[in-house]
Amino acid sequence: MKNIKMKIARVEKGLSQENLADIVGASRQTIGLIEKGSYNPSLNLCISIAKVLDRTLNDLFWSEENEKKQ
Amino acid sequence: MKKNNRPFNMDERSKLVAYKVIAMMYFMTILSMQGVIMYKQFALGQSIHDFEGFAVIFLVNVLFLLAALLYFGAIPLRKLNLKSIALIYGLFVVLGLLFTFLKYNVFQKMGLSFIEIMDKIIIVVVLCSLILLFFAVFALLGKRKMNKELENKRYIIDFKLLSS
Repeated sequence: MKNIKMKIARVEKGLSQENLADIVGASRQTIGLIEKGSYNPSLNLCISIAKVLDRTLNDLFWSEENEKKQ
Repeated sequence: MKKNNRPFNMDERSKLVAYKVIAMMYFMTILSMQGVIMYKQFALGQSIHDFEGFAVIFLVNVLFLLAALLYFGAIPLRKLNLKSIALIYGLFVVLGLLFTFLKYNVFQKMGLSFIEIMDKIIIVVVLCSLILLFFAVFALLGKRKMNKELENKRYIIDFKLLSS
């Protein structure tokens, strides 16, 4: 499932995938795959991304589908 | 926050992919080496003594692979009871005896006598006990290490709760 929220937050912050990747210590491909929903990042990476984008983990990584599943 | 400027700096995903590929290549290497040895031994008829070096490498490899998996907690050991330990030990002994029988009576066609077979049984039983002991030591050391780490983390959390 695509992570649109993270993509929107990144664009609002004026960062490219490469910029974000450099700041959080990941590769551009990793950021791309997270946004595409093809890779599940570790909690540490999630926290780093959330801090850089000034969002909470819920804002970026929690979807309503998760709530429905529970 | 750290910047990832080094060209070959691997991030968590790259490491994960690399670990998977390395593990797959490791097993493929071991399997292909075994295939080559069996081909040389049975198809080309080379002496089993030519492969003793490989046998040692395989033995050390398998023993330390399992020991490392046990130590670092990759094999989830629930509370093992005596019955399951005895079952594992029995399995080790039966497999050991089967391999010994196949090695001497089928592949090398030596036709061992009863006394010789009894000697081999003693060797197999002792070796299986030593192997199981070896694994048990690593599993216990790993468990102790894990408990120590968990205890340290609990103290840190307790300290943070008290100071807040």
